[in-house]
Amino acid sequence: MSVPDAKERWSGKITTVTIGATPAEGGTRGSTVTLGGEAGIPFLSFDGETPNPPAIALDVLDVEPADWPGPLAQVYSDVWSDPAAWAKRVKELGADLVNLRLVSIHPDEGDRSPEQAAETVKAVLEACDLPLIIWGCDVPEKDQRVMPKVAEVAQGENCLLGAVTEDEYRTLTAAAQAYGHKLIALSPCDINKAKQVNILVTDMGYPLEDIIIYPSTASLGYGMEYIYSILERGRLAALSGDKLMAQPVLLDVGLEAWRAKEARTGDEAAEVWGPAAHRGPLWEAVTATDLLQGGCDLLIMRHPRAMEAVRKAVSQLIEA
Amino acid sequence: MIIFSERINGMYRDVRRAINEKQKAVVQQLVKEQVDGGADVIDINLGPTKGDPVENFVWLAETVHEVTDKPLSLDSAKPDVLTEATARVKQVLPETKLIINSSTAVPEVMAKLISAAAENGAGIIGLTMDQEGVPGNVEKRVECGATFLMTAMEGGLSPDDIYLDPIILPVNVAPKQPWNVMEAIRQLAVVNDPPPKFIIGLSNISQKCLMNRLINRTYLVMCIAAGLNAAIMDAADKELVEAAITAEVLLEKHLYSDDYIKAWRMQKGLA
Repeated sequence: MSVPDAKERWSGKITTVTIGATPAEGGTRGSTVTLGGEAGIPFLSFDGETPNPPAIALDVLDVEPADWPGPLAQVYSDVWSDPAAWAKRVKELGADLVNLRLVSIHPDEGDRSPEQAAETVKAVLEACDLPLIIWGCDVPEKDQRVMPKVAEVAQGENCLLGAVTEDEYRTLTAAAQAYGHKLIALSPCDINKAKQVNILVTDMGYPLEDIIIYPSTASLGYGMEYIYSILERGRLAALSGDKLMAQPVLLDVGLEAWRAKEARTGDEAAEVWGPAAHRGPLWEAVTATDLLQGGCDLLIMRHPRAMEAVRKAVSQLIEA
Repeated sequence: MIIFSERINGMYRDVRRAINEKQKAVVQQLVKEQVDGGADVIDINLGPTKGDPVENFVWLAETVHEVTDKPLSLDSAKPDVLTEATARVKQVLPETKLIINSSTAVPEVMAKLISAAAENGAGIIGLTMDQEGVPGNVEKRVECGATFLMTAMEGGLSPDDIYLDPIILPVNVAPKQPWNVMEAIRQLAVVNDPPPKFIIGLSNISQKCLMNRLINRTYLVMCIAAGLNAAIMDAADKELVEAAITAEVLLEKHLYSDDYIKAWRMQKGLA
């Protein structure tokens, strides 16, 4: 008796989105990153191909971080007062993209002006030729003033801008559309809203093919399984043919993993938890590799050793 | 939900006249409305029109195809007309998917139409009835449905191309039939893996009923819950289509979002 073929036949496929533009494409990036394109469940090569392994962006803040623990300080403290130098470091460490957070435009974190933010973006673009992700500060009134300016100075670079939500999407969508950037669509742990944001943004005439889904993120030990099940349901809907869920997915793993006390606590806990130098990167790497199984295309991370561990796991999964 | 447009049917006076007088514009306007409403397949039925039926089918198919490349379902109760029309339409529109509507479970009829479907890469609708006529109960529907399905698969058709139609009759003359049809769908869906598709000619349930649109809408939702996945219906009836989408959202066939109707239309490229 022959063994029945248990392969799934999916009618849908994740869209592909390219971030960055080389001189030939009207930008100044040294490379571009293409996300998505999966035709099956993550890492089941018999089910469908994974043409683009998950990409990794490393974090760069536009101000010196106030609360980054020792293992991160060790890697970045000599450059973190200068976002341009920090971006260079991120490239040296082997990141695929730079993830720039405009923390200092926040009214309580420096309240820097749109012009100052634009200068920072320009400086980062000049210092480092990786494709760029740019986030506002999550205060809609401020982001609405800053992000159009930022989008304008980065015109031609095909950046990824974050983030539009169900309530706040018009200004950033218009800016991305006007200056040729891709968009992050945020829906905090709510799959129905993930679809809704895509409908709203597309309804403004923004192409569905230029959107990245960001379902928010939770780390190991802090609700990761909720995000996992959202990833899984979203991916199954996409593969079953739901075009409004077929966009590549981004996860902000570094930020969430390094908020966990298990990652942050120093060597005072070493006797029970092991040395901080390993614990933090490990917490980040485990969060990332777990969530990747649910279906994710772009990881934002912090520690280079965590990034390397994730890359190693991915290459083994894709080869297998 | 696979929506077969019911509107291009010679039983409607405007369509009959358009076929008799070869007025393309009348037909094409109706087709556009049906496609815009969400029709996936255009059912074409000559009704009591004049002239050679095969030629009329070819004319009608070409007329429809000028405004949409959707699949066409050729609708006739005459097996010989269907066999010939399927081959002819395939010849003039080789890229268009065809569905033969319909065969019964009568052996000679099945043999003829299933091989016509297989030869032309067409789908086929099988009515759950045999020489004894429309069954008055569930059991006979299931028996005829199973016979048709088995014969069609033996004839080389994939389950994807096979539709079973448990035959709905007007509620005002056959009040037990609406439930029988739903139960037949349920039973046929359970015993066959992979299951075929299930289709009904929806408007038949409310023939000569005053509240026909409400009856159609309500019954369509009930049948979807029983496992129906296609219907010959008025795709331009917005409330009907929206009720069907809502039923499918409630069965988790589509992922919910606040604008799920719009999402469904976007998905079809209609928004």
